[in-house]
Amino acid sequence: MSRPASASPAWQSWLGTVAVVLGVLLAAAHGTEWTKQRVLAYATPEDGILPAAECPEDELIEEGLSLGECEQLVENVRRYVVSAPEWFLGFQSTLAAIGTLLAFVSIGVGVALVDRRSWAPAAAVVVFGALALVDAAGFVAALNTGPILREVYLWNALLWFSLHFMMTIGAAAGRASLGAPA
Amino acid sequence: MTDRNGTTNGNGGYRRTAVVMHWLIAVSIFFLFASSWWMLALPLPSAVFRFREFPFQLHKNVGITLVVLLGILLYVRLRHRPPELPLSSWMKRVATIDHVALYVLILATCISGYLSSSFSGWGTTLWWTIDLPNWGYEDEDLNIFFSDIHLWTCWALLAVVAVHIGGAVYHAFKDDGIVRRMLRF
Repeated sequence: MSRPASASPAWQSWLGTVAVVLGVLLAAAHGTEWTKQRVLAYATPEDGILPAAECPEDELIEEGLSLGECEQLVENVRRYVVSAPEWFLGFQSTLAAIGTLLAFVSIGVGVALVDRRSWAPAAAVVVFGALALVDAAGFVAALNTGPILREVYLWNALLWFSLHFMMTIGAAAGRASLGAPA
Repeated sequence: MTDRNGTTNGNGGYRRTAVVMHWLIAVSIFFLFASSWWMLALPLPSAVFRFREFPFQLHKNVGITLVVLLGILLYVRLRHRPPELPLSSWMKRVATIDHVALYVLILATCISGYLSSSFSGWGTTLWWTIDLPNWGYEDEDLNIFFSDIHLWTCWALLAVVAVHIGGAVYHAFKDDGIVRRMLRF
């Protein structure tokens, strides 16, 4: 059952729209992270040692790369691999999969908020809170790696945590204003 | 409420199928952007370096699926057109131009990408099940030509998407009911 727009506060429309937009971006981000972890897990040699880059002239032209850039592409993977503890790739892959699913759910919750579904405010608190927990888990995991991966992950995790934390609080406050328990 | 084709349509918004297609397309587009920026920073492919295989195949498959999703969305949208937008004429014109630009650019991006791949010498396996026939042949110049078109249509698409999102957020914060046409179950 959905309430007509005039009978409901505007915060549901605002928060719902923000949730949908961020949910789309987050689904893309987590999906990309999952792809990255899968690629690194399966394409990196078992001993973790990467050979020298192979940079044919015609490939450099096609890609618009210099020789230095081409060699750096291998170095980028190498720096990631040397900084990641053994457990990191599997953990990140699982976290990214959970994050992707939750992001899709948050899109649905955002739509429900805008559509003024009665269950939406409560669902928003739970889902946005779960997203904040995923971000926190990613932050803690990155903390326990080397400085290279901390540089890659910490700021993004903190940024998303801040957004999801604010959205959780906002949903709780909005729900409380409707007369439901916060 | 009835739509412009005369069929009953809930709260005057888009059909549920169109809504689902729209959001799947939205996520797909942003995933393709984010993943492409990352995958182009992977080592060049060789017998030893196989990092690019999976993400490139995934990119092509999401792009092909995107065209199918767009086809379904357009079919449903044309068959069940929601009521006219309750907006000023200039806003309606901007919305129409934006929507048409989105559809054209999504198709142009996907088609140019597929053509680029067709002349790259690399095959495409549809979701790792069916080997799609190679329409082209290995030709570096044509590969680069269509790749450049792919790149520029992508940037144009991102700009038009930004306008689209801007318009949606504007109406959402105005709470005038416009976004409820697409943000509904």
